[in-house]
Amino acid sequence: MKTVALIGQPNCGKSTLFNQLAGYKSLSANFPGATVEYTKGQTYIGDEVVDVIDLPGTYSLSWYDDAEKETARALFSEDIDVIVNILDASTLVRSIELTIELMSLEKPIVVTLNMMDEALKKGIYINVKKLESILGVKVVPIIAKKGKGIKDLIEAIGNAQKPAKRCVYSKEVEKYIKMVMECIDKNNLKNEWPTKLMATKAIEGFEACQKPLENSVCKNALKEAKFALRDGLVIVQERHALCMDIFENSAVVKKKEKRTLEDRLDNILLHPFFGYLSMLAIFFSVFYIVFHGGVPVENFIINIFNNVDTFLEHSLSQHKLILAIVKGIVDGVGAAFGIAFPYLLPFLFLISLLEDIGYLPRIGFLLDSTMHKMGLHGTSIIPFISGYGCSVPAIMATRILKSKKEKVISAFLASLVPCSARTTVIMGLVGYFIGYGYAILLYGINILIIMISGMILKKLLRGVSPEMALDIPPYRLPTFKTLILKTWHKVKDFVFLAVPILIGGSVVLTLISYYHLDNAINGVFKPLMEILGLPSSIAAVLLFGILKKELTLLMLYQALGLSSLSQIPNALTPNQMLIFTIFVIFYIPCLATIAAIRKEVGLKNTIYISTATLLLATFLAFSTKLLINIL
Amino acid sequence: MKLIDGELEKSYLVDSIDGGCIAKDRLWKLGIIPGVIVKIKRKAPLKGPFMIEVNGADVVIGRGIALKINIREI
Repeated sequence: MKTVALIGQPNCGKSTLFNQLAGYKSLSANFPGATVEYTKGQTYIGDEVVDVIDLPGTYSLSWYDDAEKETARALFSEDIDVIVNILDASTLVRSIELTIELMSLEKPIVVTLNMMDEALKKGIYINVKKLESILGVKVVPIIAKKGKGIKDLIEAIGNAQKPAKRCVYSKEVEKYIKMVMECIDKNNLKNEWPTKLMATKAIEGFEACQKPLENSVCKNALKEAKFALRDGLVIVQERHALCMDIFENSAVVKKKEKRTLEDRLDNILLHPFFGYLSMLAIFFSVFYIVFHGGVPVENFIINIFNNVDTFLEHSLSQHKLILAIVKGIVDGVGAAFGIAFPYLLPFLFLISLLEDIGYLPRIGFLLDSTMHKMGLHGTSIIPFISGYGCSVPAIMATRILKSKKEKVISAFLASLVPCSARTTVIMGLVGYFIGYGYAILLYGINILIIMISGMILKKLLRGVSPEMALDIPPYRLPTFKTLILKTWHKVKDFVFLAVPILIGGSVVLTLISYYHLDNAINGVFKPLMEILGLPSSIAAVLLFGILKKELTLLMLYQALGLSSLSQIPNALTPNQMLIFTIFVIFYIPCLATIAAIRKEVGLKNTIYISTATLLLATFLAFSTKLLINIL
Repeated sequence: MKLIDGELEKSYLVDSIDGGCIAKDRLWKLGIIPGVIVKIKRKAPLKGPFMIEVNGADVVIGRGIALKINIREI
């Protein structure tokens, strides 16, 4: 089967086009061994089924972060038969730079000009036929958002040809590039890059192309070329001039663009004071809608599953073991749906909305300096905010981050944010029995610990978090279809990921209580409970809490041998409640979260994160105990 | 002078980008090339990043990078 790869610069409308081509029947996949994700689907060209892959957006083949690196690697591989290069017609000059690089891969290619309507609004009139003859590549104008031109594009993909022209620099530049090329060929130093591109990028100083030459016999050739071409600057300027030329020869700009509305919006949303205020308001609204809208829906769903439980208990009361297993399955499904529909769906929809409007990169601008101290970027705030609702979408939100280091740090820190389940414990135990002031204090301590952990992780983890250098897209009105499809892709991931795990975990836990293994567990964890000054019967509760964190509160009174929640003060002192709650806030993430972490950052990091949170929780709970004793 | 010392709402000519800047390639791709005119549009508070206008598009760059871009007044 043929594979068609969509590639373009960020914000060129690539995903919108992908959704038009492949529709809802698509899956997200990770590059092997990487935490970078791409989306895969299928479409028909005539009668032929082809794979369509949506690669992460990139400005250039010479990558700057992990996502761009994987994109470049995928393009070099043999697996791609046709490249579809999407250009934002309204920023044509910059977009052509990538096109020129892609043409040097010498694979069948189709260039598609997206957002023709926006270009017109800016007063840019593009002569498609002329552009086509200058580039020597088929060019198809489309408006992906409205589904215009898609048919023509599909036809063009079916007939895609290798580029008829090549990018040729001036004589002087070509001379030096050729010199380096010849040296590469003669000494067999070629890597996955096409030789000319490798030579050019090496002269420009791109690490991955330069390194293999630096320590070889080509060292001097490279040095000479670099000296003559001013470290590649001459090439860059020539290429830029070439792009300007292509633009000027194929497009006419009729009126000067006006961006008053956008500038006025930015004046508020990026204001040194009101910008932060509006950001808080926007986050609060998202959080409010997700959390408050979600609770009744969750209760409704839980109610249904509770009724099923009661029904099962009646009808299977003769077969205790079967009942335990069936109940485990039902509870697992209930837990998964209880997260997916009330919280995940609205949350992912709202985040997609903010993303498509163009607000997310602007948050990056506002919060960059604070997040930088934790080895993160402005955009990493999304996982944190969403963590207060549910950790699973929070972890999934780390997907928008590009470097691996950033992803691992964000996933770890986001799992420490008290989700709605842990809020139940904080409010129900500390808030209700000790005082709401203490509950708020716990939230404050939590934020402090997250910041400190972030600073430590920044030092501990290897890898660079590259500084921000990105383009801020204009505000755009997203289409409902794109938003729905985007949300659906993400929810589908969650359902496939969390349901089996929650069912499995739930069955195991019901079996534990069926075979009365609770006591054995309590015995194993007795030393830990003693260190923390907690009754040993609590260990099993904490184990169940790994399935769903709110169980730590709901099962607590039973484990302590009490008949209701209100009697807890008879068995636990306020100090013990405080220690218990602190432990619950920080210890091992719940199973669904663990599955999400594994998907985003891999098994090894998941084990590290889980272990680290357990140690952190123990340390904090123990410190609390010591502190209370001193005071 | 460096871009980081530039004033708000003023336009400057990009002179050069210091060597050893890992973002150099990215800057080129964003259109920040010696000889191009950029306008400083916004500076985020608390040592945050800069927003500059290049070729009619807005680009955000961290201060660490702004420190490595040499500019000239026009």
